[in-house]
Amino acid sequence: MMAKLGIHDLAVRYGKLTAIADLSFTVAEGERLFISGPNGAGKSSLLGAISGAVRADHGRIEMDGDILTGLGPERIARRGLSMVPEGRRIFGALSVRENLLVGTGMRRDRAAIADDLETAFTAFPILRDRANAPAGALSGGQQQMLAIARALMTNPKVMLVDEPSLGLAPRIVDEVYDRLCALQALRGLTLVIVEQSSTRAARVGGRMILMRGGRIVADGDAATFAATDLMSEAYFGDAA
Amino acid sequence: MSLQLLFDALSLGGIYAIAALGIALIFGVMQLVNFAHGQFIACAVFALILPSSQAVAELGLGRLPTPLLIPVILGFGAALALLAEAAVFRPLRNAAPVALMVASFALGVALQNLLLVIYGSRPKAVSLWAGLGHPVQIGGAQVPLLQLLVIGAVALILAGLALMLKHSRIGLEMRAAAQDFGMARLLGVRANRVISGAFALSGALAAVVALVMVAQTGVADVRMGGQIMLIAFIATVLGGMGSLAGAVAAGFAIGAASALLQMALPAEARPFRDAFLYGLVILVLLFRPQGLFAPAGAKPRV
Repeated sequence: MMAKLGIHDLAVRYGKLTAIADLSFTVAEGERLFISGPNGAGKSSLLGAISGAVRADHGRIEMDGDILTGLGPERIARRGLSMVPEGRRIFGALSVRENLLVGTGMRRDRAAIADDLETAFTAFPILRDRANAPAGALSGGQQQMLAIARALMTNPKVMLVDEPSLGLAPRIVDEVYDRLCALQALRGLTLVIVEQSSTRAARVGGRMILMRGGRIVADGDAATFAATDLMSEAYFGDAA
Repeated sequence: MSLQLLFDALSLGGIYAIAALGIALIFGVMQLVNFAHGQFIACAVFALILPSSQAVAELGLGRLPTPLLIPVILGFGAALALLAEAAVFRPLRNAAPVALMVASFALGVALQNLLLVIYGSRPKAVSLWAGLGHPVQIGGAQVPLLQLLVIGAVALILAGLALMLKHSRIGLEMRAAAQDFGMARLLGVRANRVISGAFALSGALAAVVALVMVAQTGVADVRMGGQIMLIAFIATVLGGMGSLAGAVAAGFAIGAASALLQMALPAEARPFRDAFLYGLVILVLLFRPQGLFAPAGAKPRV
């Protein structure tokens, strides 16, 4: 079967600094893939390159066999790849509803948009309650949920989520992951999630790629990672 | 007397507000202070007349009947701004903001010199809508009809723009892009569409200013672009860069201050009215360097 998402020999550099070096992996349709690793491992650069926000130096990124590399972020989004970025980046001065509608410009079917808005409000009732409030007035957890709901409004096939647990209380993180997994099942989404905590990834379940220094050091079932010392090796391990 | 002052302040401030909006719109979406905006205005002014060396200009586009003239000249302004975006600013899209700003200066100088070559440096008398000068009696005040029309037009334009920004698709995209362009693009918002939209609107607003300036002063002068640009730029700074409502409010504030000074200053100080005006601006900025209405999330992040 063709991979949903294919990364081939991807490299990202910022000047002389190499963020990602010759990275290759594929993601199957409907898969949940965690990407973990220490700060500076290149996780965010990887998501940036896939979404088109960061320019790849060389290599190839494919979705459903179509090449995404070199396309601007809006073209990639329009092909069905959506992003929940680090720090959420919600539009604080816009209302919650307006935040959700920004990503629907590419869609023509108004009934489907209304359905998706209803789905988002059902999954995150707080967003319905605060629909007309400025999004900047939401709490951190609510903003994270808004960022996820907003990304879903583009009707994506693949969704990238960068550190959804950042700065949130553990109980809220549980809630965010519950909703995320439910929505994935509902929509048949392919999910790529950057997550620092391997125990969190193991608990949620899925595949996990461990990165370090811009390379993949391990790839397997998230549940087995927490049990082995691969994690600590990635964080502290000798450079050999 | 005070009614007269109110009308003066509203009509002058309205024009400043429209000019400032043209700058704030573009700054909002791409952090560019478009110093060529004044020359967009000047170009729209000169588009009304035919090139000649005469002191009294012969009308060109300005000859069109008013219901046609207004859309044509607004379209001219929009087209000029779109052309400038495509030729100058689009190739520099990813350059540093300073490079963009310098490019806008260069474009302004180029446009100004183009006007000098085509039309010569001599200011020209233009009679556009001459019938609108006659006064109307309102309360105790004698108000030129044109002034009333300007105030009405400005109110209409501001209301229309507010509705468009609040309720249209392109308005939503512009507001999202003004907050976080990178994020808007990640949600499928097309950068070219939003930026072109901002330039077209800005250019059309420049044409509005041009029409009003010609009708009010009866002069076409290559230098008028620079003068209005200075005031409009000050209004956008005073309003808090990137805040559209702030630019409008500051435009009206400057207009009001200008009209007040004109009335309150002793006759021998009146020629220095603008020095007092800019002094006031400095005073305001000393206390509120971020402007009067700085938007909450004003940090650029593209």
